[in-house]
Amino acid sequence: MAAKKPNRSMLRNISNVQLLMIFGFGLIVIAAVLTVSVLAIRKTDEVLKNKVISLTSSLNVQMKLNMESYLSRMETIATLAFGEKEAYTYDATDPNNDEYESINIEKKITERLFSLCIMENFVDYGIVYRNNRVVGKISNGTASLFGDRIFTEISSMISRPRTNDGWSTGYDNNFKRIYYVKKVHDNAVLVISFYASELDAVFDNPETLGDMDIRLVNKDNNIIYSKEPDEVGKSLPDDVADRIRGKDSASVLDNEYLATVNKCGDWYVVCSIPTQIILNEKNEMTTFIVVTAVFAAFLAVLMALLLSYRIIRPIRKTVFTLDNKARIDLLTGILNKRSFEEYAGNCLENSLDSECHALIILDIDNFKSVNDTLGHAYGDKVLEKTGEILRSVFSEDDYLGRIGGDEFGVLVNTRFDSREKFDSYLHDKCRDLASAYHDYYSGRDGSYKISASIGVSVWPDHGRSFEELYSACDSALYHSKKSGRDTFTFCNYDKEREGDNDE
Amino acid sequence: MMNKRSRLLALVMAALMLMLTGCEGDPVVRKQNTQVQITLSWWGNDSRNEYTIAAVQRFEKLHPDIKVKCSYSEWQGYEARSQVQMISGTEADVMQINVGWLGQYSADGTGYYDIEKLSDTVDLSNFTPEMLDYGRRNGVLNAIPIAMNAETVYINKDVYSDFGLFVPQTWDDIFQAAKVFSKHGIYALAGASKSIWLYCIAYAEQCSGRQFFNDKSEITFTADDLKIMIEFYNRLVREKVIPKVEDFQRFNIDNGTYAGVVAWVSDALNYYKGLIEKGTEVIAADYTAFDPSKSGSGWYAKPATLYALSRNTEHPKEAAMLLDFMLNSREWAELQGVEKGIPVSASGRRYLEEIGKLSGLQYEASQVMEKNTFIKPMDPFTENADLYETFIEYCDLVLFDKSTSDEAAKELYKIYSENYKMAPA
Repeated sequence: MAAKKPNRSMLRNISNVQLLMIFGFGLIVIAAVLTVSVLAIRKTDEVLKNKVISLTSSLNVQMKLNMESYLSRMETIATLAFGEKEAYTYDATDPNNDEYESINIEKKITERLFSLCIMENFVDYGIVYRNNRVVGKISNGTASLFGDRIFTEISSMISRPRTNDGWSTGYDNNFKRIYYVKKVHDNAVLVISFYASELDAVFDNPETLGDMDIRLVNKDNNIIYSKEPDEVGKSLPDDVADRIRGKDSASVLDNEYLATVNKCGDWYVVCSIPTQIILNEKNEMTTFIVVTAVFAAFLAVLMALLLSYRIIRPIRKTVFTLDNKARIDLLTGILNKRSFEEYAGNCLENSLDSECHALIILDIDNFKSVNDTLGHAYGDKVLEKTGEILRSVFSEDDYLGRIGGDEFGVLVNTRFDSREKFDSYLHDKCRDLASAYHDYYSGRDGSYKISASIGVSVWPDHGRSFEELYSACDSALYHSKKSGRDTFTFCNYDKEREGDNDE
Repeated sequence: MMNKRSRLLALVMAALMLMLTGCEGDPVVRKQNTQVQITLSWWGNDSRNEYTIAAVQRFEKLHPDIKVKCSYSEWQGYEARSQVQMISGTEADVMQINVGWLGQYSADGTGYYDIEKLSDTVDLSNFTPEMLDYGRRNGVLNAIPIAMNAETVYINKDVYSDFGLFVPQTWDDIFQAAKVFSKHGIYALAGASKSIWLYCIAYAEQCSGRQFFNDKSEITFTADDLKIMIEFYNRLVREKVIPKVEDFQRFNIDNGTYAGVVAWVSDALNYYKGLIEKGTEVIAADYTAFDPSKSGSGWYAKPATLYALSRNTEHPKEAAMLLDFMLNSREWAELQGVEKGIPVSASGRRYLEEIGKLSGLQYEASQVMEKNTFIKPMDPFTENADLYETFIEYCDLVLFDKSTSDEAAKELYKIYSENYKMAPA
């Protein structure tokens, strides 16, 4: 058995190196994958954010252009009223007006104004005079909203001195209509209006951006238009308002919101969307990158395992072979002297007093004459046979070694629960050894009888260390030699017991 | 030489690389959702526009594959616009129409879609045959009435009470009230052109005992009858019962300058919502008459408005789905309430009863109309804009002393004779 015991520390070292390789490689791979993933995610994040900002900004600009175009068209249609001479020359406040003539002129102006706006969804398209008289199309809603202050309030909506006109909404917190007013003369102002919901067509956005909130707000952040009619007239939500405050044309993207704003006359087109929604693709992409990275790392570690296994396996095999060669006596197949002493010494050092150990030393009698008489080849055969005999007599737990030219050692390591049984076992083994030699003859004709002398010392009675035990055992062997050989002697420092007495 | 395991590993790695890189060149195809778009047009005030848009959104939610494009405006100018659209073939798929337009655009019943062809989608069982007859032309079901309507005398009872006046019932009551009000710059009544035109017809019919139109849509009024109307209008204006129709201004209802208004049942909330919210008591009075027991004589009821489908619609099925939703669904009835009057649809009326919406000034005005036994169905031509605008024009001639009432009536009769069917003398 002793020959099969490997040098565990060496192999343990190799296993440690293998583990180190796997972990090291794994760590490097994971670090590399992590670095690449983080860089990829950051870059993706940056590119995606820039792209989203750019697209949203473009959308906002497009909405602003739509709005400007729509307002411009409304202004153009309003200006058509000035093509009718009576529309800008008639003054309903003139006290010199003939009442009947006035009725007919007003009828003519009204007919003309109606024909100009017939195909548009105008709520109002008429002229209001300083005396609150109206001609053309002035709706009940507008008449009701302004009451007898209609001229004053409508006139006050003129905000552009260059063209004497202006856009307005939110009078008395009513944002249902959007008004365009233009001065006709000192006592008359042209007014057109349309429902804010008409801007649905202006701010219609593609279905892919259905979650985008598009609003038109005034300088006080009151919502003039929103896809949600309930919002009209209310304040722009603080989440969005805070991000665009003080800006005329800008895009802001943070962790919570993407908001863009563009000034359109006195109003602002505001597009906003929660970042989580607009960058949903980013999260998907991040997940994809992470999953791919984990998968790649797993593959890399798997590869490392495979490679290390393939690299380490021949090394282990070589080391195992070299280790065996270093430990084993090639002729007998049992431990050589150095290994035997090392293993036996370690075994004894780590043993408890309750354990039973014994050292048996065997010396082949007259081995020199075997060599001289039969030749070295037969001598080697005797040694080889001795290895076989030792392996057949002792158990796997015992250490067997060749400790000299014809001297062999056995550290009995078999467990017993009582000293008596152990002693009995030792005697049996010694007799078995002697018996095995008694049956062994060598030489060309098989007539040369071989025998061995045996010494036995018991741990810890005859020594605690291997050296002490060996010394005691050597004395017992000497006693066997002196007693005529082919016998065994137990060391008797405490209690003398001699094998020949038992024979 | 590679062993089996190495070969297998290489194969797996190659497959993975292929999987990771193989899709690079695939085209990205995104399918766009397609919707059937139909158009809906109506006229109305703010509240009608708001609830109609909200109701359309409900319809679109129920039918996400249908998009309804809305076109709406206040009444003024809507009629002329509708005419342009009908003549040019650009009318909406589903339209709110006035009863007079049936005769104007579909004399033979082919001007609008035959709704009976879509009776598997539009539940017509909610309507009595008599009601459906309002929408028939030449036997073809061109339109379905929404509610009944009539000119109504609305009285601001608080203003009348402040001056110790009772709610007027007779023509004399009106003139007597004007004597009191005129000293304070208040008008006993007021009204837009068409309302005053119908008010004058009621007066003249009660005087002459003749209906303006006979069953064949022929004008039965003589020059003398027209003279009664012209003189009545002049008396109303000169005695400051009403302002000239050209001077009618909406805000004078709110400030109490007009103590009463002649207007449609469907205009009740449009005109008086603000005053009622302020706590003013406004009532729907009996129809003015010489004899209160004959109140309603000379007055007319008509379908408030009707819904029709374009004969050119490319999506009759979807248009019919919207029509049925507008007429018969709980969702629409809830939002519409009695804004257009009491619904003619049995299911619409039932839903309103269930949710307790049959109340208020509009409902009271409807009740005055429904309970009256003298009121008659209106001939669709009565509302013809040229008819009443010409009348007002000749009234003004007399009012401003450009003509006598006799001359004006004869001239007006001549113009009517040239442009309309006249009953044989």
